[in-house]
Amino acid sequence: MTADQKPCPPGDYQVVVVGSGPGGLQTSYYLRHLGIRNALISADPAPGGMFRRFPFFQRLLSWTKPYAPVPRSDRFYEWFDWNSLLAEEPQNRSLMPDLMPGDSSFPSRPEMEQNLAAFAEKTGLEVRYDCTWESTRRDGEQFVLGTSDGEYRCQAVVFAVGVAQPFKPDSPGFADVPHYVDTRPAETYAGKRLFIVGKENSGFELATGLLQWAQRIVLASPRPPKLSVNTHSLLGVRARYIQPFEDQILGGGVFILNASIPRIERSADGYRVHCVRSEGGSELTVDVDEVISATGFTSPLRDLTDLGVSVFGRSKLPSMTNFWESATVPGIYFAGTIGQGVAGMKKYGLPANSGAVQGSRYNARTMVYELARTKFGVTRERPVVKPDQLVDVLLHEATRSPELWNQKSYLARAFTLDAGEGIRDEGIVPLAHFVDEEGAPAVAITVETDDTGDIHPAVYVREQGRPAVETLLTSQPLHDFRTADNRLQLVSLLRGVTAGTAR
Amino acid sequence: MPLSDDEKAAVLARLPLFAGVSSDSLTRLTAVAGEQDFAAGYYIVRQGQVGTGLYVLLEGRVRVIRGSDELAVLVPGDFFGELAVIDQRPRGASVEAIEATRCLALASWDLLDLLEHDPQLSLNLIRGLVARIRDQGEHPHH
Amino acid sequence: MALSQDELVDTLAGLSLFADLSRPQLEQVAHKMAEESYPVGQRILRQGFTGTGFYVILDGEVAVRIDGTDVAHLGKGDFFGEMSILLGEPPVADIVTLRQLDVLHLGGPELEAFLRDHPPVMYRMLKTMALRLRNTSQVRS
Repeated sequence: MTADQKPCPPGDYQVVVVGSGPGGLQTSYYLRHLGIRNALISADPAPGGMFRRFPFFQRLLSWTKPYAPVPRSDRFYEWFDWNSLLAEEPQNRSLMPDLMPGDSSFPSRPEMEQNLAAFAEKTGLEVRYDCTWESTRRDGEQFVLGTSDGEYRCQAVVFAVGVAQPFKPDSPGFADVPHYVDTRPAETYAGKRLFIVGKENSGFELATGLLQWAQRIVLASPRPPKLSVNTHSLLGVRARYIQPFEDQILGGGVFILNASIPRIERSADGYRVHCVRSEGGSELTVDVDEVISATGFTSPLRDLTDLGVSVFGRSKLPSMTNFWESATVPGIYFAGTIGQGVAGMKKYGLPANSGAVQGSRYNARTMVYELARTKFGVTRERPVVKPDQLVDVLLHEATRSPELWNQKSYLARAFTLDAGEGIRDEGIVPLAHFVDEEGAPAVAITVETDDTGDIHPAVYVREQGRPAVETLLTSQPLHDFRTADNRLQLVSLLRGVTAGTAR
Repeated sequence: MPLSDDEKAAVLARLPLFAGVSSDSLTRLTAVAGEQDFAAGYYIVRQGQVGTGLYVLLEGRVRVIRGSDELAVLVPGDFFGELAVIDQRPRGASVEAIEATRCLALASWDLLDLLEHDPQLSLNLIRGLVARIRDQGEHPHH
Repeated sequence: MALSQDELVDTLAGLSLFADLSRPQLEQVAHKMAEESYPVGQRILRQGFTGTGFYVILDGEVAVRIDGTDVAHLGKGDFFGEMSILLGEPPVADIVTLRQLDVLHLGGPELEAFLRDHPPVMYRMLKTMALRLRNTSQVRS
């Protein structure tokens, strides 16, 4: 296809979306759904984002259950399918399970890549591939993106460029050492002595995949490994990847070191890695054939910081509002895994799933609705709810809403309570925005996990001119929160607030 | 009438400040804590004085005074005087017996020694201070 | 710029909360706590809401805010969150970042064990509490 036959040619658009991974695809889909003219451009030759390459060896960490407690047509099936993108049309939803042969509830990388490609194709999304974003500037009210195919002008830009840019420490020797992204096919490590720097999921994923190939594997980083089975959350090395940990316990050829790596030297047949043990500070030298630096990623934000986008933290993620808009440059938005930079309530230190598809897909949709409203005046329907239905609707949401389950204590379902307008369904909102901003009298419900692991609904009531008040409801062993007890609590909680909305 | 060692240990163990401390600590406490009686109106500690120990109220009531302000009235089970022990600064307030009062007195060096060896005691003490900070609501932290 | 392990331990060594710890003990502290960053204007703890955590500030500044009014500012070396955890009650004030913030964070349920494991830290905390009380009207000598 010649340059001028590719879709989304350079020119003027309302929004430009950069990136064709899950974040970019989901964003462009909903922009189109709301009638907003957008160009989706990608440096890649095909859709899939990071899933075109990673993970290398193992299955994904996100499930899609072929057999689930609810049918696939049910909205709540999204809680059992963390990999399909969201769509309004039934035939475009839940595409992942049909691409899995049924021997696992976790897709392989190729299956996930296929899932995303199928979404782009079936929804007829127009994507301009092989178009690299190169520069960004402002021109009055517009943004101008310089790309390898020419200039794009728009009122808002969404960057869904992922957090997949290799990061290596600048300690001596690391420049010569391959990063995780450069990992070769497994067979090429046959019989080798391997040293992996990094003990998070990427390090363990490599170790798991190379376990039967490498002669010996050393995994090293200053801190001890954190395992998700110990944190009782998705934080830490996931169960799928802890085989090397067991191997180490049994003494089969895996060694897990808590050490910093001040220096790596080339040697005749490979590398000499200098380690300083975290406990006691003694030095240790390890001679190996191969080193892989699984030391993390940053986001390729190019010249955005020059434009004024502020970044923070180790990964240099952009500082964002609760709607994933740059905190310092309005009009620049972020989608996909970058959204993990919006911490939300983070009660008890547990983040939501914004770094993964199951969370970021909802964030993208919520962001698009807000972008459409604030930049282009596109308003949503706000269906009326009868006062005597509100309690049932709230408890039903807590029990069966995939948004609330996938993004616990991060997204909420909100209802405004205005005497004149009655009770209106505001849809899904970021919870931190609901509780931190002042606004019309409203109630929001979410699902939360506390520090004992108990999962229960939480209700936030906002009255005029007063900060939101939190009430925790009670859990239920089968997670059906529509109990008499919860009903009673809600009724009494809402009595005063909804009194004025009775019609 | 002075308490026997067993009675003293039992009284100590029931006090919130010593809840959950090791039996070693309780034994030591019993050995070093002395009982003191005060008549009504007696100033048990005076604002500005060098502090020599912590007191736990066993019987009676006392009032805490700073300048001319009465800050609090304490009842059996409450403790006072610990700040000067912790930071070695002069007493920040006076404590006056409202009625005939009996206290258990713990000398600074004994308390510090115990704190060093019994983390539960430290935790209890921190909790007690934290609760007090929160109660007064003035300069709250977290 | 991300701190190396050494730089992190050096930073900890300079904080009064950890002033009585040896280097190996500081390394242990660095392992048990997680490094986190927050941008400007982020609410970390919320007045009246459940949710706890223990935080030690490595760099940056936060406001302690009650009913919308700043009652204190905390900076490098200060800690917050321990009161809610120790009392089992929600925070009584908001903690809001005034500048980009780097912290060490420990989950609520882990604080007690952490203090038991590091008595010098607990003693420093005790002294800080004593100081806070001295600055209020509820001093009991």
